[in-house]
Amino acid sequence: MEPTYHNGGVNFCWRVRYLFSEPRRYDVITVRFAGSKVMLLKRVVALEDEQVEFRDGKLFIDGKEMEEPYVRLPCHWNLPPRRVEKDCVYVIGDNRSMPIENHHFGQASKNRIVGVPLW
Amino acid sequence: MVKIRYLLVGGLIVIIGIFAFFYFFPNEEKKVKKQFHLLSEWVSKSPEENAFTMLQKIKNIGTLFDERCELKAPSQSLSGSYTREEISTYAGSARSHLSQLDLKFYDFHIFFPEKEIAKVTLTGRLTGRSGTGEQVDETRELECVLKKIERKWLFSEIEVVEVLKK
Repeated sequence: MEPTYHNGGVNFCWRVRYLFSEPRRYDVITVRFAGSKVMLLKRVVALEDEQVEFRDGKLFIDGKEMEEPYVRLPCHWNLPPRRVEKDCVYVIGDNRSMPIENHHFGQASKNRIVGVPLW
Repeated sequence: MVKIRYLLVGGLIVIIGIFAFFYFFPNEEKKVKKQFHLLSEWVSKSPEENAFTMLQKIKNIGTLFDERCELKAPSQSLSGSYTREEISTYAGSARSHLSQLDLKFYDFHIFFPEKEIAKVTLTGRLTGRSGTGEQVDETRELECVLKKIERKWLFSEIEVVEVLKK
């Protein structure tokens, strides 16, 4: 999540954030990756039934180019369009300087969302 | 005074007996966990491992699996049904690419949907170093099914949970 969150930094998870609301686009969320301890910090870029695509590093949602001021490192990703399934959100990290195949991103079930970082 | 001494000795024997019973006759959950510990031990590799130990470990890995085991790991393009010999061969080949390997399992959630079937959800962490010195560190959630065959719990399904689907 560089440069928004630095590697090795410590944070806390605010678990009640989505008790009465749904994740919104651009929210930074904590996704349960394995067991109860391994979490990922990712940004929601698309919601269910939306179409996600990358063209030369630019994010397109339903064919419309999106503003992403939090992405400051160079990115040249290309990803064919895909639709976000029901009860899922599409999450990506802010650091997209690495090759696309080395980055953990994709659609995550809402059941896997634990909360949001406290700061 | 003598009576109290007999009572104390009797109580001590009973306590030791209870501990011995649980140690020598572990419950099914402990037996299932033991299979994971054995898998961890036999997959792991130290830089000083000699050829004899390597062959023994590879042979042992196969004994933990059912005659056919279903593997589902879409991101590693390793999906299908494999014989225990194929799994041993694959494990041997994967180990040979790494000079050091450490496999650990955490966060066990075990339940028994049927008498001779155990479903286990857990975290697997694989760390190591490749032959070229590159660091390996992979953590995944796994869903496994073990079947009790001839009083031994054997792996019959292993699935790597795909949390983020590209």
